[in-house]
Amino acid sequence: MRNVTNIRMSGLGGQGVVTAAHILGSAATTQGFESTVNPFFGAEKRLAPAESYVRISDKCIYERGEILSPNIIMIFHPHVITMGKCYTMPFFDGLQEKGIILINMDEMIEFKQGEKEQLQQLEAEVYCVSATEIASKVGGTELSTNMAMLGGLLGITGLVDDQNFEKALIERFSGGKFVASATTAALDDAVKGKYNRTAQLIEKNMEVVKAAFKSVRKYKLS
Amino acid sequence: MVKRIFKMCPEFEDVMPEEYKQLVEDGPYGREKGVTDLGSFKELIEEHPLCAGCGLALSLRLIIASIPVPEDTIIVGSTGCSSLLFPQVAIQNIHSIFGNQNAVATGLKRAMKLRFPDKTKDVVVIAGDGATADIGLGMVMQSWFRREHITTIMLDNEAYANTGGQESGMSYEKKVLNMAPTGKKFPKICLPEVAREAGCDYVATVSPGKPKRVQNAVRQAVLTAREVGPSYIQIYSPCPTNYKFKSNQTNAVAKEREKEGTYRMVEYVSDKARDYFKQFKGEEKHAKCN
Amino acid sequence: MSNQQVLNPDALFCNTEKQDMFITGSEAVKEAIKRSNVDMAISYPITPQSESMHLVGDLYAQGYLKDYLRGENELAVMSEVAGASMGGVRVFTATGGPGTLRAFEMFSTWSGARLPIVCAFMTRGLNSPLTIQPDNIEMAHILDTGMIILHAENAQDLYDMLLKAFIVAEKPDVHIPVGVFADGFFVTHTRDRVRIDPESVKLPPYDPYSAPVPVIDMENVPVRLMRDPFVMKSNFISYAAHASWQQEIMAAAMRSRKYLDKYLEGLMDIHNEKAKVMVVASGTAVSQSREAVERAKNEGMDVGLIKIKCLRPFPVEKIKAALENVKTVIIPEFNRVGWLYREIKSVLQKDMEVIGAPRVFGGMTMPAELILDEIRRCQNG
Repeated sequence: MRNVTNIRMSGLGGQGVVTAAHILGSAATTQGFESTVNPFFGAEKRLAPAESYVRISDKCIYERGEILSPNIIMIFHPHVITMGKCYTMPFFDGLQEKGIILINMDEMIEFKQGEKEQLQQLEAEVYCVSATEIASKVGGTELSTNMAMLGGLLGITGLVDDQNFEKALIERFSGGKFVASATTAALDDAVKGKYNRTAQLIEKNMEVVKAAFKSVRKYKLS
Repeated sequence: MVKRIFKMCPEFEDVMPEEYKQLVEDGPYGREKGVTDLGSFKELIEEHPLCAGCGLALSLRLIIASIPVPEDTIIVGSTGCSSLLFPQVAIQNIHSIFGNQNAVATGLKRAMKLRFPDKTKDVVVIAGDGATADIGLGMVMQSWFRREHITTIMLDNEAYANTGGQESGMSYEKKVLNMAPTGKKFPKICLPEVAREAGCDYVATVSPGKPKRVQNAVRQAVLTAREVGPSYIQIYSPCPTNYKFKSNQTNAVAKEREKEGTYRMVEYVSDKARDYFKQFKGEEKHAKCN
Repeated sequence: MSNQQVLNPDALFCNTEKQDMFITGSEAVKEAIKRSNVDMAISYPITPQSESMHLVGDLYAQGYLKDYLRGENELAVMSEVAGASMGGVRVFTATGGPGTLRAFEMFSTWSGARLPIVCAFMTRGLNSPLTIQPDNIEMAHILDTGMIILHAENAQDLYDMLLKAFIVAEKPDVHIPVGVFADGFFVTHTRDRVRIDPESVKLPPYDPYSAPVPVIDMENVPVRLMRDPFVMKSNFISYAAHASWQQEIMAAAMRSRKYLDKYLEGLMDIHNEKAKVMVVASGTAVSQSREAVERAKNEGMDVGLIKIKCLRPFPVEKIKAALENVKTVIIPEFNRVGWLYREIKSVLQKDMEVIGAPRVFGGMTMPAELILDEIRRCQNG
């Protein structure tokens, strides 16, 4: 049997869900796994709901397109939950039993009563991390929120190791070896402007990842 | 086209078609022939399948005789009466679809530049008024905006003639034609001015009633397209069939319209083109220079 | 670039040391064109194709192509590449969805003019209402334009098929356009592992004088095409000329089979050929079917899979033979009309259960469960 991990990342346009998926998939392939990565297919604009998907497997991956039954859901912004800025309602629609949810949460979010019960029935494990806060404090920019989310994910699952993660980061931000779509490319320049040098950017991002790795905490449903 | 290609091999001379022999021996390739020589050399256009007195046939005969270097010219045509005639022209020509002539010419001219960097290959678009001003206007104007080095010639018979005489954008206001049963509701499109504003460095309207003017315009337009930028010629080619006049009246109709001011003969030359023309002053057949 | 080494196609396709890249379908297009010795590319934006032609533009900036421009609309772009191809250069362009239909008149014109143009089609839904989502209904329209039609399952196929398309299209006994189709988003936007040839090699250049029709460069002997052209005439010569020309285009497509067979390793793949239930698919639907078939096997069901790689020429005899002893055929598709269902149905003579389902359209992915449901139904019934 193949062992496939299906990850759905939900956030707001501009938060870097596509880039996060790219880096995670790239790190997974570097580590010897098979992986496919794709964004949600639409003309999504800044701050509109945005999603991306990562499949990681020890053998081959056949299926394409959005992931309908994820093992892991990552919520990059509280508005995905509180304001319904999400492609699915509820935000954990399709989550497999004993699935994992990681939420970027600086302040506690209360789930609706029905949702809480559904999550309990699914035996979902819910985690939270103050990704935006860590990105600002450690990385010096909110633009690293996606890195903090990935740090949190690694803190929970250890899907890929530090070294391969860093390799993927270098490949993604060192230019030339990857291609970003037009708007993603513009954002990349903004990120680079913040850090001046790519090396520093990668170093700072790794610090963000490590800080988030340590600070991820379990959310008590009951 | 290098001369040796069309020179006949003596051993085969006796089996070559008469028509081919005449073209090689007495055609205009590599020779200085123009409209004033018509009747004294083998023309590149032979007979025509168009109506008696057709303005297009008259115009095309003059245009083809005026093309400065026919052996290195390619014509892009479009659908319409003229597309019936082009297979009888001994210059390579393309018919693709209705209205895309300037787009095809764009690709072709660029291909010629890539393949023959040391040689000039003139690309000349010759299409009707429907093809140029209506269905193909977007592609015509975009080729001007992009400053493609091609010459655009419109054969303006003020109607869709091949389909049976329907109104075109180039028909004049109030003219009753098919699809305009109560008369055309808007004026003739001022394409020469549009061409000027869209960046054509040389623009002229002419009519076959004045052959030397046609020749000058064609040669200056081709020259402009070679070195300066896009060029546009509009040649008034009255249609006896759909405008219902006698077939021996074509030139008279053209002259009459010019005289009464309902077909304006204009010439717009950009400063750049004017400067460029200066170097050829005094040379009678300047545009022949390759 | 100029320091790339020209390799003959067989050497390039088979003997080079390939490397893995983790790239999207759009990037796979770039990598293919980089090695295809393309002279000129013409672009026009449309989702989900745009990114691939941005990247081809980058190749031009880096010196891999000699000319590149953004055209003004798809009909114009297809006309521009036609002009360039008639002029004897190797051209490439890409479009998809509404762009395909906008440009439509040119596709049969390309075939009729025997132009070896390679065009990538990144499929998407058609209006109305406005959509930019995945759907391959446009392929129902384009099958009978005279073009060779290939359908890529993933980025790897897209890369391989594009490189090979130039070689097949330009064979003197073929010399017709090739459309390489990939399901938009599922292929273009999905990042996947793709095996790529070294950057240092490229295909041989196009030789315009190998064409079966004269290249339009006025380097030919002065001829009139004809004295009494049959164009638009109503006489029997005229009808016969047009009819035989159309048949010649069809024949050219048939002649391409020997090359496609060799380079694509068959126009179709069969897995588990003895199964009584067979899933037949092309494009991304093959990937979804692979997942469903594997799950079905895990549940103890005996199911086979046929992947159709080439839709024109359609592998009629091969399909007939492969389905000879099959009881039920399931055809999952990413469109409403079921064009593959119609194609398969048209070649099957005997009474056989052919299920045109699932059909997913409007943009969503095709969950493997839907195909699995059909397989289960056949096993039970």
